[in-house]
Amino acid sequence: MAVTITDETLVHAKDVTKVYQTGEVETYALRGIDMEVKAGDFMAIVGPSGSGKTTLLNLIGALDAVTGGSLEVLGKDISKMSRRQRADLRLHALGFVFQAYNLFPVLTAQENVEFVLELQGVNNNRSGRAREVLDRLGLLEYANRRPTQMSGGQQQRVAVARAVASQPRLVLADEPTANLDGENARILLDMMRDLNENQGTTFIFSTHDPRVVAYARRVVTLVDGKVAKDVVKENDTDGGV
Amino acid sequence: MKFGTVLFKYASRSLTRHTRRTAISMTGVGVGCAMALIALSWMNGAFEMQVRAVAESGSGHLMIVHRDWPAMRENTLRLTDWEETLAAIRTTPGVRACTARARANGLLAFGNRSSGVQVMALLPEHESEVNRVVSRSRIEGRYLNEEDPGAVVIGKGLAKRLNVELDDDLYVTLPGTDDIHSAMLRIVGVLDTGSQDLDLTICHMTLANLESITGIPGAGEITMLLKDHNDINTVKERLETKMPGNNLVITWKTVLPALASGMQGDKALMRLLTAIVITVVALGIMSAQLTAVLERRAEFAILSALGMKSGQITRIILVESLIIGLGGALIALLVGGSAAWYLASTGINLLYFNADALGPSNILLDPRIYGSFGPWLIGYAAAISITATVAASLYPAWKAAQIDPADALRTQ
Repeated sequence: MAVTITDETLVHAKDVTKVYQTGEVETYALRGIDMEVKAGDFMAIVGPSGSGKTTLLNLIGALDAVTGGSLEVLGKDISKMSRRQRADLRLHALGFVFQAYNLFPVLTAQENVEFVLELQGVNNNRSGRAREVLDRLGLLEYANRRPTQMSGGQQQRVAVARAVASQPRLVLADEPTANLDGENARILLDMMRDLNENQGTTFIFSTHDPRVVAYARRVVTLVDGKVAKDVVKENDTDGGV
Repeated sequence: MKFGTVLFKYASRSLTRHTRRTAISMTGVGVGCAMALIALSWMNGAFEMQVRAVAESGSGHLMIVHRDWPAMRENTLRLTDWEETLAAIRTTPGVRACTARARANGLLAFGNRSSGVQVMALLPEHESEVNRVVSRSRIEGRYLNEEDPGAVVIGKGLAKRLNVELDDDLYVTLPGTDDIHSAMLRIVGVLDTGSQDLDLTICHMTLANLESITGIPGAGEITMLLKDHNDINTVKERLETKMPGNNLVITWKTVLPALASGMQGDKALMRLLTAIVITVVALGIMSAQLTAVLERRAEFAILSALGMKSGQITRIILVESLIIGLGGALIALLVGGSAAWYLASTGINLLYFNADALGPSNILLDPRIYGSFGPWLIGYAAAISITATVAASLYPAWKAAQIDPADALRTQ
């Protein structure tokens, strides 16, 4: 099924720079990024280590502040937002998937998902909704397991469930398949692709994994903190992982 | 954060990540608070017993004196309508016992020996109700009777100093209003309080006897014991409305200001030591909590990335501290409560440390001091333990809330 990419712009970056200051040393992570992400995109940001993939993802995820330029996420200029407002944006509109899964080890899979709903202030049938999300993603059998009782692939799928539980417009995934074998990577990417196609969730990955690149419909290549290439695939494939 | 929510589960279960560290933290808080409870039990019990000892050793909880007495400390000052005042005090709610007295500084002599004394003239029928020096001492001979002209009871130490015994006649010299007066007194009793120092000061005669020797009529003080020393201010206020002429109600603290401030000083010192112990414990907790926060830096970054506010992250740490505090309170109750119960039921024998059992200002102390034990221990254990742990965790909690998620995830 082909997803509909609308004209709605979720991310609008204009001449975005990010400089890290360590003592008197300035390190340029991003050097003027211009980019737009439309609703429904399934996009991979690729590039060599140190090219600025994770930095860009962190900026889009309102986890960090831009040094220069402007970055609008869901119509809001994050450089003008307070720490609290950025937290609100992350809570209500963004989802995150991390390389190291980063599930809370003291909570079960269901509680990890429920956690986000609780943060959002959902009071009505929270655990039922969490189970529903797990069920929809075929993870219900892991509902009562803690992360230590699950494989890496299972944990990462639960992490995706946690990221999409609050029905965010945009999910940011930083190297989501880096620690997964081929089979688990395929299951995970299928799952995210399904969410993209059936729920309209926009995904942005930072990755150097060719399996992810194969699934992505748009591939942005960063080199030395700049966009070197921005390719939208004409003929979408199933990825072929 | 409500009990049973996922946030609460996260906070409480986080304590199980390092069960040994959590157990050590709880034990540290518990033992520190137990020490505080033991100190408080001892301090409260000892203070109460000391107040009782002070009151029953002559000064009473409250005393009626001449208005000028606190400033002048002059023994010749007399009360206005002392008999009516005494009768009124007897019917005042909260008063357990009372009696009237007069004092005079004089000289006792026998043969070529003499000794300066403070004669205490009293109502023999009531004195033993308010004075443990009379009621608790061994006596050779007899104590004074209501009508006992020319009779005197002295302490064993004084008898030894003057080299006198029962039925000997002492020569007493006392000041009157304008002149010095002398009389012969027969020793009818020798009191043995168990304290050599106190025995050197005892010289009792009837109030009527003193009046007849000095020519100064009336009583100089009315001493009373209360049913509950905590009611001291209430009863004082009640009595103040009944005082005629120059009569003034004062507390034992005014009678013995040095002793009162000494006891307050002891209390303050004990509180300071307790505060030092709790501070050391709190610093230990702060260190443990800070370590826990730094270990979970990436996790707090994830919480922040998921949209958790700084205040919510702070609350997570504080809830963890609260649970440590509650655990510490239970340990404190177990350890401190048991010790306080022992102190309250068995007490500590002061004679083991001080054979004289005599406190400052000639106070006849109880030979065994008991601590205080009661439901207050629960409140104190919870308050000290929880306050110490939560206060100690404020900085780690703030630190956790300040973690920059991007930086923490980058260095994960």
